[in-house]
Amino acid sequence: MQLPGERGRSPNGARPDRSLTVDWRRREVLRGAGAAGLALGLGACGDARPAVGLPPAGARPSLVPMRLTLDQLIDVKCCIRPLRAAGPNLSAERLGDTLVIHNYGHGGSGWSLSWGSAEIAVGKAMSTLPREVAVIGCGIIGLTTAVVAQRAGLRVTIYARELIQRTRSFRASGSFTPDSRVALAEPAGPAFGDLWEKMARLSWKAFRTYLGQPGNPVEFGDSYAVSESPITRRHWPRDPAITGSWKPGGLPQQNSEFGHYNDRIKDIMRQPVDLAPEENPFALPYAQRSSQMYFNFASYGHALLSEFFAMGGHFINREFHEPAELAGLPEKVVIHCTGYAARDFWRDDTIIPVRGQTGWLVPQDDAHYAVRHHNLSVHSKRDGIVVMNNLDPSGQDIGEMLGVGDSMELPDRGPIEAALKTLQPLFGRGGRS
Amino acid sequence: MNARLALLGAMLALVAAGGRAATESPAAGTAQGVYSAAQADAGAQVYAGRCAVCHGADLSGTWEIPALRGRFVGNWGRTPLAKLYDYLGHAMPQFAPGTLEPPDNVAVIAFLLRENGAPAGGRPLPADRAALERIVLDPVTPH
Ligand SMILES: Cc1cc2nc3c(=O)[nH]c(=O)nc-3n(C[C@H](O)[C@H](O)[C@H](O)COP(=O)(O)OP(=O)(O)OC[C@H]3O[C@@H](n4cnc5c(N)ncnc54)[C@H](O)[C@@H]3O)c2cc1C
Ligand code: HEC
Repeated sequence: MQLPGERGRSPNGARPDRSLTVDWRRREVLRGAGAAGLALGLGACGDARPAVGLPPAGARPSLVPMRLTLDQLIDVKCCIRPLRAAGPNLSAERLGDTLVIHNYGHGGSGWSLSWGSAEIAVGKAMSTLPREVAVIGCGIIGLTTAVVAQRAGLRVTIYARELIQRTRSFRASGSFTPDSRVALAEPAGPAFGDLWEKMARLSWKAFRTYLGQPGNPVEFGDSYAVSESPITRRHWPRDPAITGSWKPGGLPQQNSEFGHYNDRIKDIMRQPVDLAPEENPFALPYAQRSSQMYFNFASYGHALLSEFFAMGGHFINREFHEPAELAGLPEKVVIHCTGYAARDFWRDDTIIPVRGQTGWLVPQDDAHYAVRHHNLSVHSKRDGIVVMNNLDPSGQDIGEMLGVGDSMELPDRGPIEAALKTLQPLFGRGGRS
Repeated sequence: MNARLALLGAMLALVAAGGRAATESPAAGTAQGVYSAAQADAGAQVYAGRCAVCHGADLSGTWEIPALRGRFVGNWGRTPLAKLYDYLGHAMPQFAPGTLEPPDNVAVIAFLLRENGAPAGGRPLPADRAALERIVLDPVTPH
C-alpha cells in the first residue's frame, strides 16, 4: 500500500513513518495511559480505540493518491458567475397584471444559497395567495425555487430554455461556498449580511437532508490545504495604489471590495486545523484539514428533478425574448431565475460577469477528498475530480478579481493542464505519471 | 345525457357559489386598515419579548421554525383573524402556551399584519373573537 506522503518531508527533514496508522495506535496507548489515566483508565484497557489521547478527531492519515495525469482529463467547462454588486436581486415588480419576483444574480454562490434564496422568493409569492406560479429558468436557482414552491403547496410550471443539466449551474465546481463573489461589501451594505446569513443557514440545513440519499447528492469530505510555508488565512487589505472602486455599471477594482460573510456562520463552517508533521501525508511540509460540504451534480440534479415531477410539476421548454412576454403567461405570479442571462433578458447591466472554468478527470471512487495548493485545487467527487486553476495567466494569485468583467465563456485547457502538473507531485510517488 | 351533465354542472356550480358566499360573509379584510399604528408598536414589544427568540427578530424563521412573513400570509390568507387569534392564544409562545393575554394577542397580530404589508387604520383591532371572525387576512403585494 502506497501512501501519498511516502516521499514527503516533514519540516525537520525526517522521513514520515511509512505506516502512519500503526504509528498512531502506539501513541494512543502511551498518551491514553499517561495523560488521562484518570479517565477511568480507558486508555490502558488494551482496546485499540481508547477514549483519550487520540490523534485529532477525523484525521485520515492514509489517503489514496489522486490520479492527476493528463490522460485522465475528460472535460473542461467554462461558466460565468452572475455577480451583482448589491447581491442577488430578490425584488418584486409588477408587469401589467403579473407579479414578477426576481431570484437571480448569486455570483459564485448560487448552489450554496439556493434553498435560502428560494425560500425568500417563494415567501414573497405566497403572500399574494396564488394557487400556481411560473418559474423562469431551470438552473440550480430555478429548480430549487420550483421545488420549494411545490412544498409550499403551489402548482408549478417551469419555463426554461434548458433543464438543469445543460445550464451554467452544471458548470460550477459544486461546493458549499456561500460567500464566494456574492456581493461587494459597500454597495451591498450591512443589511445584506443579515440576509445572507439567513440564506446560508437555511440552505445548509436543507442540504443536510440529502446526506446519505441514494447516489449521494450531497456529501462531506476532507479538504486539505498544503504549502511549503505555514498556512495562514489570506487577507486582501485595500491597496491604496488603486484609487478607483466599483461604480454603478462598472467593475470592482480590487479584492478588498468583495463582501465576506463566512465568519457569521463559523459555528457550522468550521475553521481548518493544522496537521502535525507526522499526520501530513503530502509532499510539502505544511498541511491543514477542514471539512467541506459538496454536491454531486448528476445525482443532485436527478433528485431535484425527480421531486419536481413527482409533485406534479410541469416543464415547458421555452425561450423568452423580452420581459413583456412574461405577462402573457397563464400564471400571474412569476419567479424569474435566469441567472447570468438576466443581464440581457431583463436588461440588468448591474450583473458583472466573472468567468471561471473547471477541468474534470475520470471519477476516482477510492479517493474522495480535496487538495488545494496556492489557489490550484483538485476535488475528487463522485461525478469526477474537479480541477481548478485560480491563478491569473501570469501565475499570480489575484484572488476574487480573477475573471471579473470577462464574459469569454469558452474553456481553455492550458491552465487546467498546468494545475495538474503542479499538483501531481504533491501526492508523492502515487501521483507520478 | 349532455343536458343532464350540464344540469349537474350547474347545480354543482350553485353549491360551490353558495359555499363561497358562506365563507366570504366576513365584512372586512386586512387590506382595509383594521389595526392602529400604536397597537402594532405595542405588538412589536410583545413580539420582541416573547416571539423573536424563535421566529427571529426579522420574522424570517429558520429551517425548523415557520417564518411569520411571506409564507405566513399563504398559510393564514383568506382566513378569519379569529383563527389566528385562537391559535396564538392556545399555542404561542410555544414555551408557554396559553399565556398570551388577549390584548397582547391582538397587539401581536397587529404587528404581524404591519410586517406583512397590511396598512394601519384608525382603530385598534379589538380583542373580541366575534369581531375577529368577520375580518379575513387579505393577500398583499410584495416588493
Ligand atoms: C467555475 C465556477 C464555479 C462555481 N462553483 C460554485 C460552487 O462551488 N458553489 C456554488 O454555490 N456556486 C458556484 N458557482 C456559481 C453558480 O454556478 C451560479 O451562481 C449558479 O449556477 C447560478 O444559477 P442560476 O440557476 O441562477 O443560473 P443558470 O444555471 O444560468 O440557469 C439559468 C436558467 O435560465 C434559463 N434561461 C436563461 N435565459 C432564458 C430565456 N431568455 N428564456 C428562457 N429560459 C432562459 C436557462 O436555460 C437556465 O435554465 C460557480 C460558478 C462558476 C463559473
Ligand atoms: C419556543 C419557540 C417559539 C416561540 C417563543 C414562539 N413560537 Fe410561534 N411557533 C414555533 C414553532 C416551533 C411553530 C410551529 C408549530 C408547530 O408546528 O406545532 C410556531 C408556529 C407559529 C405560528 C404559525 C405559523 C404558520 O405559518 O402556520 C404563528 C403565527 C406563531 N408561531 C406566532 C408566534 C407568536 C406571535 C409568538 C410570540 C407570542 C410565538 N409564535 C412564539 C415556535 C415558537
